[in-house]
Amino acid sequence: MRVATIALHTFKESVREKVLYNLVAFALLLIGAAILFGSISVGVEQIILITLGLTSISVFGLLIAIFIGIDLVSKEIERRTIYNILSKPVSRLGFILGKYLGLLLTLFVNTAIMTVGFYAALFYQKRALLLDDLRFLGAVYFILLELAMVVGIAVVFSCISTPVLSAVYTFCLYVIGNFSAGLRAFGQETQSALLGTVSDVLYYLLPNFGNFNVISQVAHAEKIPGYLWLGNSLYALLYIAALLAMAVLIFEEREFR
Amino acid sequence: MTSSSESLSRSRLRRHVCWLLLLLCLLGLIPIQRSMDLRRGSDRGAAEVLFLPSGKFLRQLSLGYEGLLADIYWTRVVQYFGRKRLAHSTEFKLLGPLLQITTDLDPHLLIAYRFGSIFLAEKPPRGAGQPQEALALLHRGIVANPDYWRLWEDVGFIYYWDLKDYPAAARAFHAGSERPGAMEWMRVMAAKVAAQGGQLATSRFLWSQIARQAGNEQIRKNAEDHLIAIEAEEEITKLDELIALYNSRQGRPARSFQALVVAGYLRALPRDPSGAPYILDAGGRVGLNPRSSVELSLLE
Repeated sequence: MRVATIALHTFKESVREKVLYNLVAFALLLIGAAILFGSISVGVEQIILITLGLTSISVFGLLIAIFIGIDLVSKEIERRTIYNILSKPVSRLGFILGKYLGLLLTLFVNTAIMTVGFYAALFYQKRALLLDDLRFLGAVYFILLELAMVVGIAVVFSCISTPVLSAVYTFCLYVIGNFSAGLRAFGQETQSALLGTVSDVLYYLLPNFGNFNVISQVAHAEKIPGYLWLGNSLYALLYIAALLAMAVLIFEEREFR
Repeated sequence: MTSSSESLSRSRLRRHVCWLLLLLCLLGLIPIQRSMDLRRGSDRGAAEVLFLPSGKFLRQLSLGYEGLLADIYWTRVVQYFGRKRLAHSTEFKLLGPLLQITTDLDPHLLIAYRFGSIFLAEKPPRGAGQPQEALALLHRGIVANPDYWRLWEDVGFIYYWDLKDYPAAARAFHAGSERPGAMEWMRVMAAKVAAQGGQLATSRFLWSQIARQAGNEQIRKNAEDHLIAIEAEEEITKLDELIALYNSRQGRPARSFQALVVAGYLRALPRDPSGAPYILDAGGRVGLNPRSSVELSLLE
């Protein structure tokens, strides 16, 4: 119950941020512009709309995820509300969990708005929406999973660092996470046992965001295989659980005076 | 007091649970990732993608660190080529573009022209089999580094070896010999190639010079492989002549080398430069033993 209260409060607080509206507005603008980009191309109008639209959701979602995730602890300290919260019968685990769920809800609402914008643009271009168009929701679901992990990473960093550094670290980890398969391949190509092992460990330890990228697949009307639905859901769930456990462990050690 | 100790033990328990959860979740990720990798196929990580196909554009993006970026791209060339060679692949789709990017980023990275042209020119599976691309790369290198005579040596070599265009090879060796600091043998090479292009003796001379002057172990090894192949080719020619002589004198075809040893044509069973015995096939032709490490295909 207390977790739900913190989550709801976090959500209410997040949606008051004007920057969020700006980011969503930019995303919608870019999705709308995809119609224009498509019209100056030949034969790929719809593919451009789909790829640019879904990419906009992903990129702006990433910015939103980082933006809302990095303020978790610092803002509470700055406003001195952390003392209030922790003096109440709220465990630190409950605080982190509530905050995370609140941020997740914010992210979900923002992504939902951008998705509605994407479907509106699609409807404008095709003059109709078919049942088959629901396949794009698969890509949106994977983007959401990815963003939920990014928020988790931002939360961990926000427990140990300043907002600016947390944003930088989170973004860097996001970029690395997109190249983790390449990192592993590089380690294997070097033919060095040590580098191979190190790259293997990093491959499994770092978030593998490459798993979640199905934008091109859905743009080319390819079906998302069943194992990806299950695998990515489980992967994100475990990774988020690990991140939150890490955040709680760090947060438990922090002293607020 | 009791409430405080209870709170402490609860906090400790929470920490233990968190550590356990963290460990279990991280371990749980491994089978999930493995299963997805297996189903998706192993080629995902090593997809042939250039990401940024223009070296000039990358140069702008590098913010002045184009030297470092060129080194990274050169490493990528080597890794790409090595991976393809290990896989015995005959397709080297990205080799040319990667070399172009590397040399666009750093036009003075001489190793990229020298090695890159070898990678490009050698016939598959030893290389990409694109001698014209190799020549284009070297000519770009010559424009950027007009005083470096070695690039002319490489041009001459590709004309000689891969394109069998001996007059063009002689011209390239001659042009290189006129650059500052060029070795004297470049002039000799130009004359020799012009006069006796295509002969094994000329090839031997060429590869010997390269093996002797090579500043790099791989280039030296490549030259030595070619020299060994030339030696084997010459031995096979001599053995063929001996067998023809034996056949005409004895009035019957030789069935094995043993017969030649018994008749006094050979002192011992002949072995190729790698130490494997030569074989005599049913048609009476001399060939390499399947166990031999000599690569006659290098001379094709």
